Amino acid sequence: MWFRYALLALISMVFVACSAITTTPTASEAPKGASPSPTPSGSATASAPINGELVVYSGRSEALIKPVLDAFQAQHPEVKILLRAGSNSELANALIEEQANPQADVFITTELFTIQALAQEGVLQSYLPPGADQWPAEFIGPDQMWVGLTRRARVILYNTDQVSPEEAPTSIFELTDPKWKGQIAATGSTNGSMQAQIAVMRQLIGEEATKEWLQGLIANQTTFFGGHTDVRKAVGAGEFKLGLVNHYYYHLQKDEGSPVGVVYPDQGENQIGLITNATAAAIVKGARNLAAAQALVDFLVSSEGQRLFAERNYEYPIRAGVPLREGVLPLEQVRLAEVNVSAAAAEFDAVFQLIEEVGLP
Amino acid sequence: MARTIPVSARISQAPARATSLRLMVAAGLVALFVSIPLVYLFVRAAGADPADWQRLLQARLWKLLGNTLTLALLVTSGTTLLGVSLAWFTERTDLPGRKLLRWMLAMPLAIPTYLGAIVHLALMRPRGGLIPQGVEALLGVSLPLPSPLGLAGSVFVLTFFMYPYVYLLSGAAFRSQHAVFEEAARTLGRTPWQTFWQVTLPMLRPGVLAGALLVALDVLAEYGTVALLRYETFSSAIFVQLAGRYDRSAASILSGVLVGLAMLLLWAELRLQGEARSTQMESAWRPAPPIALGVWKGPALLFVLGVTAISLLVPLGVLSAWSVQALLDLPTLSQVVRTGSQGMVHFVWNSLWTSLLAALAAMTLALPVARFSVRYPGRLSHLLARVCQVGYALPGVVIALSLVLLINRFLPFLYATPVPILMAYVLRHMPQAVRAAESALGRLSASLEEAARTLGRTSLLALIQVTLPLVLPGLLAGGALVFLTSLKELPATLLLRPAGFDTLAVRVWVWASEGFYVQAAPAALILVLASALPLSFLLRREPLFR
Repeated sequence: MWFRYALLALISMVFVACSAITTTPTASEAPKGASPSPTPSGSATASAPINGELVVYSGRSEALIKPVLDAFQAQHPEVKILLRAGSNSELANALIEEQANPQADVFITTELFTIQALAQEGVLQSYLPPGADQWPAEFIGPDQMWVGLTRRARVILYNTDQVSPEEAPTSIFELTDPKWKGQIAATGSTNGSMQAQIAVMRQLIGEEATKEWLQGLIANQTTFFGGHTDVRKAVGAGEFKLGLVNHYYYHLQKDEGSPVGVVYPDQGENQIGLITNATAAAIVKGARNLAAAQALVDFLVSSEGQRLFAERNYEYPIRAGVPLREGVLPLEQVRLAEVNVSAAAAEFDAVFQLIEEVGLP
Repeated sequence: MARTIPVSARISQAPARATSLRLMVAAGLVALFVSIPLVYLFVRAAGADPADWQRLLQARLWKLLGNTLTLALLVTSGTTLLGVSLAWFTERTDLPGRKLLRWMLAMPLAIPTYLGAIVHLALMRPRGGLIPQGVEALLGVSLPLPSPLGLAGSVFVLTFFMYPYVYLLSGAAFRSQHAVFEEAARTLGRTPWQTFWQVTLPMLRPGVLAGALLVALDVLAEYGTVALLRYETFSSAIFVQLAGRYDRSAASILSGVLVGLAMLLLWAELRLQGEARSTQMESAWRPAPPIALGVWKGPALLFVLGVTAISLLVPLGVLSAWSVQALLDLPTLSQVVRTGSQGMVHFVWNSLWTSLLAALAAMTLALPVARFSVRYPGRLSHLLARVCQVGYALPGVVIALSLVLLINRFLPFLYATPVPILMAYVLRHMPQAVRAAESALGRLSASLEEAARTLGRTSLLALIQVTLPLVLPGLLAGGALVFLTSLKELPATLLLRPAGFDTLAVRVWVWASEGFYVQAAPAALILVLASALPLSFLLRREPLFR
């Protein structure tokens, strides 16, 4: 106890000077979610006027969420968006840590396990945006704790100068074939999409086979990067023949004029099917700016928000009627792997254990 | 006369004791503040579930320990070798352009090591790097170059960006050596070679060792480079644990072990401190005559220039080229100038004010501790000064971890403000401020203050009117060092920053780790330039650069 007071005393003493500064624009101490002011926001989608600071934690990397937030901002100039982008698990940790003292209003992830684990921890609050009745049931979280935004496919990217379409592997299990030794790039254990892929594979083929696959990748001298942009650029430049990425990285790299091709793997009779992820958004329990948080989620699932994801980033929108960007292979033409996120928290613990055991970088 | 002395002593003793009590309390509070995160961390680590300990002991701990120690050992040896030989060339030989070379050899301190790693990766990546591609274009075949990643890459990068610590300290030691010692050895029949090994080097030892231990402590704390080059050490493993797992006990355990390790090094370093300080210039000092390099002049110059090229010129060149590229490309430029909920101006500003405030706070806090230990030397004052050195043994990730835990628990209102970042900077860089204050106060005669007191000033007034103006340059040097290292700090800032709060270091790191090197370059360049200013101020104070 004594040191608690000593600490308090000291900190208040030493940092009195800082507190003056922490209330400048960067501070989150500033009053948030101030009672709705009568100023109309001029937005067509929001009924209540919204303003104040809106804190968004995003597992989608900055480059992939920024354009959408900008569009939202344009509709709601009164709102000041504070973005914290990081890995899904890092932000999930922060949200759990902050449970008694919530900081974030909206949480956005790149896969469903993390967000479902958070829902089970009681970190989120339920919210069903208007128009979600058109959403497939699998993209609304249990108790409406989260709502899916887009889907992505886990695909194999290859350099067409070095690999012909016939040579390209048609299954992710071929990536452990020694003939690709030292020629594969992927993302490492801190990447949410990779974590989710491991979680799905655990469900599909079991712990042991997944472990073998990971060990195979490592034994094959796969280079694990921190993010997918490195992977796609490396494959585009011919540094690596193959890359394990989300499908839109193929399109992004192709846009840069690189000689790249794509395989939607594991389509054969006895194969596991294409592994997909969904990105999702949720409102944090205790969100200080609920009105703005709801408006943002509404925007993300609106036709306009969905169109932005599809257009800017080649993702699969979930809202029916929003067209795919030209050149994106419709998922209806692909056999998909089954994913079950209901026991997400336990699932993810097992995934981290597995990552640690095989020593995935 | 004989009678008046004890009387006056009694007179001056009474207020002195009172001051000492007030000072003692102030110094004690500072030491308490500094040691709380450490104590809390050890409590958490010790209180962790034995099952967690078991799991870590079985799977990770030994590997991490091996990795971390190997890296620390190799980088320390590398920097020692490099630093001492460079210092010998610039201080003891007739190498041309020594004055300029000294600056160029010290300047890498302005480049954060992770920037070095980013450039290193861009140049050396197998197949895709500029150097392998250049070799291929030149020779027509792709040569199997060593992997830029892992242990080898990390040792390379860290050695070339950390050697200045050893270089500066051993340079100063070379400089302060009396010519007489070597002359005596020579007259006693030793060859120049024997003299070097038997006389010159042993006299350098305290300075070199102190530098080497600082390097070792920095290696233990290093996060950016090892994360980027994918070599797993305690620091990077703790970071992954913090970012990845939903429980904190594993991170606490790893941190406990890491800090234990660092404390050992710090203890050794503190012991050497006293010795190193004894190598001071005296009035009869006369420099040893420079050794004529003769035909070796060319190769020696090539060696020194090669080191500067790797650690300064190439990184700056690459960053500049990228920056130009970024400025010429409109979409990238718009990303650079305006990103997140804030633009470039904002995170430059954030970097500056947090570092500046941390420097001010560290200087203020260091003053009572240093004053107490210098003016009232004794076991307690010594202990308190030692406790304030603990920041050297607290890597950024560890400070972040304990601050997150502590603040959430006891000071939730400070959470998600920039205050924890400031606290982390102060805690981590306090030792530099304390050392600077101690050395500045140590050089000041206590009689000056006593004179002010006899003239009727209170002790506080004496401090403000007499002591402070005289020690200010020394204090400012400590502050500049705190500012410089806070500016470069990465892991704690990454872990503690509130939403929308970016600093230069964070921005550079976020962009670079997502693969947008060109976008990161302008901010990186600004970071280097902003660090170069306090660094050159610091270097100008050194006898070596006068």
